[in-house]
Amino acid sequence: MIEIEHLSKHYGETIVVDDVSLRVDEGTITVVVGTSGAGKSTLLRMINRLVEPSAGRVLIDGQDTMSIPEDELRHRIGYVIQGHGLFPHRTVAGNIATVPRLLGWDAKRIAQRVEELLLLFQLDPAEFAKKYPHELSGGQQQRVGVARALAARPALLLMDEPFGALDPLIRSKAQDDLLTIQRRLGTTVVLVTHDMEEAFHLGDMIAVMDEARLLQYGTAAELLTRPLPGFVERLVGTAERPFRLLSLAKVGDAVEPGSAEGEPVDVSSNLRDALSRLIWIGSPTAPVADASGAIVGRISVDGILAHGRRPT
Amino acid sequence: MKMSAASLRIAAFVLLVAFVSAPQLFAFVFEPLTENGAPAIYNQGSLLSLTLAHLRTVFGAVVASTIVAVLLGIFVTRPAGMEFLPLSRSIVNIGQTFPPVAVLAVAVPIVGFGEAPTLIALFLYGLLPIFENTLSGLTQVPPLVLDAAKGMGMSPRQRLLGVELPLALPVILAGIRLSAIINLGTATIGSTVAAKGLGEVIIAGLQSNNVAFILQGGLVVALLAALLHDGLMTLERTIASRLGRSM
Repeated sequence: MIEIEHLSKHYGETIVVDDVSLRVDEGTITVVVGTSGAGKSTLLRMINRLVEPSAGRVLIDGQDTMSIPEDELRHRIGYVIQGHGLFPHRTVAGNIATVPRLLGWDAKRIAQRVEELLLLFQLDPAEFAKKYPHELSGGQQQRVGVARALAARPALLLMDEPFGALDPLIRSKAQDDLLTIQRRLGTTVVLVTHDMEEAFHLGDMIAVMDEARLLQYGTAAELLTRPLPGFVERLVGTAERPFRLLSLAKVGDAVEPGSAEGEPVDVSSNLRDALSRLIWIGSPTAPVADASGAIVGRISVDGILAHGRRPT
Repeated sequence: MKMSAASLRIAAFVLLVAFVSAPQLFAFVFEPLTENGAPAIYNQGSLLSLTLAHLRTVFGAVVASTIVAVLLGIFVTRPAGMEFLPLSRSIVNIGQTFPPVAVLAVAVPIVGFGEAPTLIALFLYGLLPIFENTLSGLTQVPPLVLDAAKGMGMSPRQRLLGVELPLALPVILAGIRLSAIINLGTATIGSTVAAKGLGEVIIAGLQSNNVAFILQGGLVVALLAALLHDGLMTLERTIASRLGRSM
């Protein structure tokens, strides 16, 4: 668990981060979102002390980060930046081995860990371990960047616009991969982005920053249904709001008894996708199937729409 | 294309070795250049030992320049040394603008005749290319890569040795190459202050008005320079291609 308490950073008269407090629970993804210059990167970089706070403190599992030597602190925290920052003179394996080497792991243990991570990120070790970063595609470089950050099994992963340099198709695949891996490893993630869509997709919790201040901190659903008037409301976007709410809810939440004709929809897919299906096939209802393929009920356009309605 | 470049290199090397170890074999080439029965091939010492002495002087000077220039380059790019950057730049520049002949003239009364004044002149003359290239190599390291290195908990020393120097290496090597090539030629003037080297051959030719001698001295220096340039270029290219850059 990370507790950020009254954290501020000024450069002379300029205030970059102004009295931010928030708590990040273990094993969750917290997305800090805001326009450029809002102070979100500085906030992130104060967690691993790449930027020294002017005031306030950061506690990781109750321990003040100022009490840990800075290099030692950073060995324990994974760090991923936009454009990956891979070492061009080291192979993929050499890059991933960076922190384990700094920690003095023996060669065999490092080799094992590198292979394990390459497999986790769907990169064939025989093919990729010996390649240099410039021989990889943008998506592969990004995956190696994340693998490198996870090498020494950090409990916390900091990501600064990690998908910013990727084209849209690869980006959404990279986001899904991150979710899968994060759920599997249980790593706590703090991610900075300016992309609201990305924040809703990834964030268990979303922190909205503007002009150095934390404006609102809550779950995606809270931000959608009760955004703070002004900046947060504009950022969340009122026109898209019902559809975003639908994409947060699962078919399982809206399943009703009864039967329907046609191809069944999966109980774990989201309501936005289910609605798209119904509109496309021109039917008011569709059967719902669980993971084993058994029909558990049906879903209807009216039932779905109710989930996108303003809460009363 | 590649094949012919390789065979050209080998041919140049074989020619050089053959000429310095058995110059008499090439007497017929130089005979037409001599007058009044003067010797066609340098006869006041072994070309081989002069060549080796020449290379030794250049090598010594380049090693010394490299050590000083690289260390200075590292120092002025660290936070602690940043303020010395302009000062060290002008000092190194003065080393370059001072003509080596003038350095010899100043150095001889202090350290005497022989190899020492030549080494000093070459050392000063060779500093600038290496220093400037070390600076540009170290400042060209991508900031994102350095940020990542710092973010992963590499200490300043680990960043310098593990990231900055390896990435700057091709550029630093280019500076060393430049300095070595310049010094190969410049070292010939060392013979005016009694340093052993290929300058002796050229000066002997000038004194006895023997074009054949002058040409022999010049030819050996030129071949050495071409081969050295080529060898170091190949090394730079190999390292740079590993970094995914083209040169």
